[in-house]
Amino acid sequence: MKMLKTLGLLLGFSLVSSLAQAGEGLKWYSDGSVDLITYQDREVIHLSKDQLGTMFGKGKQPFKGKKIAITVNNSGPKGGISGPLYRLRPAWEELTGAKLEIVEMPLAEQLSKTMFDLRMGSNQYDGFIEGAWYMGEYVTPGYIIPIDDYIADPGFPQWDPDWFPPSLREIHQWDGKYYAVLNDSDGQVLYWRQDILGSKEWQTRYKRDTGKDMPHPPQTWQDVIDIAKYFDGKNWDDNDPDPDDGIVMHFRVNEQGMFHFMSLSASFVVMGGDTVDRGTNNYWFDPDTMEPLINQPGHVRALETLYELSQSGPAAQAAWDLGTAWDWFLRGKSIFVFSWGDVGSLVQDESRSKIKGKLGASVLPGSYEVYDMNKNRWVRMDKPNIAGNTTGGSWQGVISAKSKNPEVVYSLYALMATEPVSMWNVNRGWTGVDPGVQIHFLPPVGTASVMGYLKEDFHERDLFYYLDAYHKNFFADTMLPYLRINGTEEYWRALDQNLSETMIGRMTPQEALDSTYKEWQSITNRRGKARQLKQYQQSIGYRH
Amino acid sequence: MRRAARVKWIFILPASLWVLAFTVFPFFYGLYLSLFNVQFGVEDQFIGLGNYTRAFEDSRAHNSVIITLIFVFAGVSIQLVLGMLVALLVNRPMPFRSVLRALITLPLFATPIAVGFLFFTIFYEEGGLINGLLGVKIPWLSTPHFALLSVIIVDTWQWTPFCFLLFLAALQGIPEEYYEAAALETTNNWKIFWHVTLPFLQPTVILVILLRVTESVKVFDIPYTLTTGGPGVATQVLSMFAYRAGMRFFDFGYASAISFMVFIIVMIMIFSLFGRIRQSFAGSEREQR
Repeated sequence: MKMLKTLGLLLGFSLVSSLAQAGEGLKWYSDGSVDLITYQDREVIHLSKDQLGTMFGKGKQPFKGKKIAITVNNSGPKGGISGPLYRLRPAWEELTGAKLEIVEMPLAEQLSKTMFDLRMGSNQYDGFIEGAWYMGEYVTPGYIIPIDDYIADPGFPQWDPDWFPPSLREIHQWDGKYYAVLNDSDGQVLYWRQDILGSKEWQTRYKRDTGKDMPHPPQTWQDVIDIAKYFDGKNWDDNDPDPDDGIVMHFRVNEQGMFHFMSLSASFVVMGGDTVDRGTNNYWFDPDTMEPLINQPGHVRALETLYELSQSGPAAQAAWDLGTAWDWFLRGKSIFVFSWGDVGSLVQDESRSKIKGKLGASVLPGSYEVYDMNKNRWVRMDKPNIAGNTTGGSWQGVISAKSKNPEVVYSLYALMATEPVSMWNVNRGWTGVDPGVQIHFLPPVGTASVMGYLKEDFHERDLFYYLDAYHKNFFADTMLPYLRINGTEEYWRALDQNLSETMIGRMTPQEALDSTYKEWQSITNRRGKARQLKQYQQSIGYRH
Repeated sequence: MRRAARVKWIFILPASLWVLAFTVFPFFYGLYLSLFNVQFGVEDQFIGLGNYTRAFEDSRAHNSVIITLIFVFAGVSIQLVLGMLVALLVNRPMPFRSVLRALITLPLFATPIAVGFLFFTIFYEEGGLINGLLGVKIPWLSTPHFALLSVIIVDTWQWTPFCFLLFLAALQGIPEEYYEAAALETTNNWKIFWHVTLPFLQPTVILVILLRVTESVKVFDIPYTLTTGGPGVATQVLSMFAYRAGMRFFDFGYASAISFMVFIIVMIMIFSLFGRIRQSFAGSEREQR
């Protein structure tokens, strides 16, 4: 009898819990708009009827009974990029009637696991939240599908590709067609300690000690080196009694160190203009011959600059990953870091950061001298050559060509890309979703509300620096072209290993880039030069 | 009789299928792949021994061979000596001996991936456990020599207990009469160890070398988690090199060729060591007769 009672209680409890769970993701209004209620935090994101798309409405659930599986980096329910999927899953499931399986994978394994799945035909996954450099691997064998028809369909949640700056639009497309939906916007900018560099006292001391005005904010990489050298080894703040560093970077091999080089080198290498050719709006290969350009004098000088700059950072950074380098800056141990948008929002998190309200940021500095790869000579500019970048993953949703439910997958991505959801993500640093498109920036250049950011505890001055830096980066006239052809991972890893050898002093910059040149030639030849060349031309928009 | 024979085959069948599916087939498929240039989205291209000749010309592959050999030689030597020393120490009456033995074997049960991450924090250069305790800044993970040393230390920490267990078992199998007889001749412990203990341990020494070398040549998890093969390529062992070629760059033909070369190296070592074991066992049998 007692056992029956217990069973009854358990059944009752599970019934009540399931009832409580049903309907907990949405709240409908009479005008057809809806509140999406996030999982666990129970925060509210309001979508108008127009934003929601005509396919969805109270009780409609157009994809009832369907199930999709999406791969994403393994950061967990409260981690970057994967976190938003967990938060929005109950709302999306209730809206569509479909089920979402989130398949987390380590960053290093995501490409290989998904490619194996596609190649072997097991087709376990319907979509991937991919790094933009995977696109060539997926598109060229036809493993993912274009989404232009879905974007134009008013039935789906509404987002607008016109929000993209040209730089980000390019990495969501392949040969003029959209394959990826807006989610994250990656690019590196320069962050610094504004409380130190902006202080009259430190500026006076700098002039007294060096005989020069402090070049603040820094306009060129030489300015950054000068400031970093000056502050390196001094205990310039009161966070701890130990000496601090001028800069911090992450060079742990086989991770993300090569991104530092790419971003920094752009201003020594990339010349803007209306055309694309070997020496204009180009960086990686000769678009006529597929000859690697990585050991050209501009690239070499950039690596020499990076090496010199690294000497003002902690010696241990040769083995540091991204998170460790970020923490060093957040703990107030370095004047500079150049990195992704996550830093700007992580600075606001006082459980991790000691520098909230002390942040300065700008587009990456430039170089007065740029190497013209058409004329094979250095060109002296009147003002520093500033090159924006989309360095990083810009983690974006793509749909598997093998998926039986591509429209269901798109509905999820599109919901995440709607203005209210995208802003919700960008306002919160932990989501890993960084600002980059028009709706994320403040007027007059964008449409975002400053209150949205301030409500999430952004410090107002930090915020203005942060958004201004990112706007100038993504909307820069000259951009570092993005490599995303077949084998990008292999090209980048070869570069990364040689960079790491440079940072530990086993190779000179020239030797490292000469070695990279040889390895890249070998990779190209093995993968088929004609095929690689065609992809490269397509990916950078080169026309004969 | 005929029915009994049939039953015999039924019992053998599952194991045979298992070996065919998961050992024989992958082996020959790997061998087949190593003769091709294999890429996603492109038809496989037969290149004969091209992947093997490429390995001979690839400076990165050479580096990995050297790193692996240093790791194997240094790691196995240290583990062998330490394991024997600890076994000799513990193979005598002392308080809490069984507890001590259990504690010594604990690292064996840790997952290598977790061990790698654990030691990553221990070797952390800015206030990690070791540098913090010593009050120095040893560049454990950011300089090539220290990084390789760190990997060897972690591997030694994990696998010395294994050597210890085998040596302890061997020590306990040495008849007490030999020591009693030796004690009549000399009181020098070193002489007793050299002329009595070590000859009895010789088969175990060879066995430990055999098992540890074959395992160490395949090491992957500890350098993968602790150093990711760096800095530079200072700790990129052969397995990691093959993994990256196959799983990161989808260069399956080359990865297979590298794996086969590792396989051949391991087989040569095994056969030569087995030869030594046979000789050594034959020798001890003769002595016992």
